[in-house]
Amino acid sequence: MSPASRWAGGLAIAAAFIWSAWSTEVSPGRLVEGIPFMLDFVGRMLPPDPSVLGQALRGALQTLQIAVVGTAVGAVLALPVAFAAARNTAPRWAFYWTRSALNVFRAMDTLVYALFFVAAVGLGPFPGVLAVVVYTATVLAKLYSEAIEAMDPLPVEAVEAVGATPLQVLRWGVVPQLVPQFLSFTLYRFETNIRAAAVLGFVGAGGIGFYIQTYLRLLNYPAASTVLLVLVAMVMLVDFASSRLRARLV
Amino acid sequence: MIQVRELSKRYPSGTVGLDGVTLDVEAGEFVALIGSSGAGKSTFLRCLNGLVIPTAGTVRVDGRPVTGASRQGLRSVRARVGFVFQQFNLLKRLSVLDNVLVGTLSRVDLWRSLLGRFRAGDLERARRTLKRVGLDGIEGQRADTLSGGQQQRVAIARALVQEPLVLLADEPMSSLDPALSRSVMELLRDINREDGLTVIASLHVLDLAITYGDRIVGLRAGRVVHDGPAAGLTPSAAEAIFDTERNGDGDGERP
Repeated sequence: MSPASRWAGGLAIAAAFIWSAWSTEVSPGRLVEGIPFMLDFVGRMLPPDPSVLGQALRGALQTLQIAVVGTAVGAVLALPVAFAAARNTAPRWAFYWTRSALNVFRAMDTLVYALFFVAAVGLGPFPGVLAVVVYTATVLAKLYSEAIEAMDPLPVEAVEAVGATPLQVLRWGVVPQLVPQFLSFTLYRFETNIRAAAVLGFVGAGGIGFYIQTYLRLLNYPAASTVLLVLVAMVMLVDFASSRLRARLV
Repeated sequence: MIQVRELSKRYPSGTVGLDGVTLDVEAGEFVALIGSSGAGKSTFLRCLNGLVIPTAGTVRVDGRPVTGASRQGLRSVRARVGFVFQQFNLLKRLSVLDNVLVGTLSRVDLWRSLLGRFRAGDLERARRTLKRVGLDGIEGQRADTLSGGQQQRVAIARALVQEPLVLLADEPMSSLDPALSRSVMELLRDINREDGLTVIASLHVLDLAITYGDRIVGLRAGRVVHDGPAAGLTPSAAEAIFDTERNGDGDGERP
């Protein structure tokens, strides 16, 4: 890159930043003025109200269940799609269309799908599950397909060379290379889905988010803080367990 | 054991891999295939078990056609032809024993092979073969934890449990250091002498070929330019095989 184009690039980025900050009314002064209110907010959250603990735990459990079912079904759906979206296993036209479709679906986050499914099937955890399924399937299909493309063709050739049938080649040449990676991606997605499922309640799609939103709206801050603490504990626990498992897979 | 007639391979890119190779290999021979990089050694070996489909010519192994064979026919030929690769081509995450058991797949019922429930006899044979190649007591280790020399021995064991009629080795030592190269070549020679297994090994190092081969076949630009006993290879003949000046566009070593 020439010095001139480097300067031009730097200027463009700086201009974009300044314009965006101005448009979004960024103001350090207002942040500073807000500090006493934040402290007041935190103060009013303390001490947490233990009487809603049971409710919070039930909500957390439902969030966990939404993430479990959503991730599992999404992963199963992603599997065939991934092979259709990998350059080395799909015909050219199938690869092109599948990748494009995945990019379109991935443009929307879980919460947007939740709004759609609440409208379609009504309130409750089920639209939440559907939202997690759709988003997970598209994200995992992309990740799986990249793992398929990065597969080492040499061992596959070696299994073919011993006179194995195509199914045996799949089982002994392909599966051992892909399964640990697929499981690792799926676990990672499960961790992310817990967080995504925690806010699904904001739009009426079940889980712990419903209680967070309700208590904040009712200005019942001690109850809200109990629910938030339960959420934090659950996310940390799942992250810890899941990352331990993932470390053992690779 | 192997009959090759007028075998030619032209890759889609236009490079010539093989150009009218005719060759017979008798049972029990140890043939060293020599030639500079791109002379067609890999292409030739890969045509012998159908990993590369030639453009013209025929290959027969133990009387059975490789060229023009059905999928089923090709699999049954491959089952009796062991292939040892330059890069070992092991499944890195699988155990040493599982890698060797891959060599038995053509004999195992489909459901057993899919579930990984190998018969006691095959397990026993795999363990015996590991011992034979000098890898005792590491059957449970993951293949990628082994040294290069050990990995190539696992690959040789995988080929041997096939109980092959022919062992093809494509530059089996070029990923190894000189001392390990010799030990791998010695292993191949022992197998050749003790089991009477026909071995064809491509080598780019002339002195290994002379030391271990009974017969030397020289390839240049996809043609056989030398064929004779290892003992009788004169320096001028060797020079002619490796002469890069007249080597032509022989970059079709690998597809």
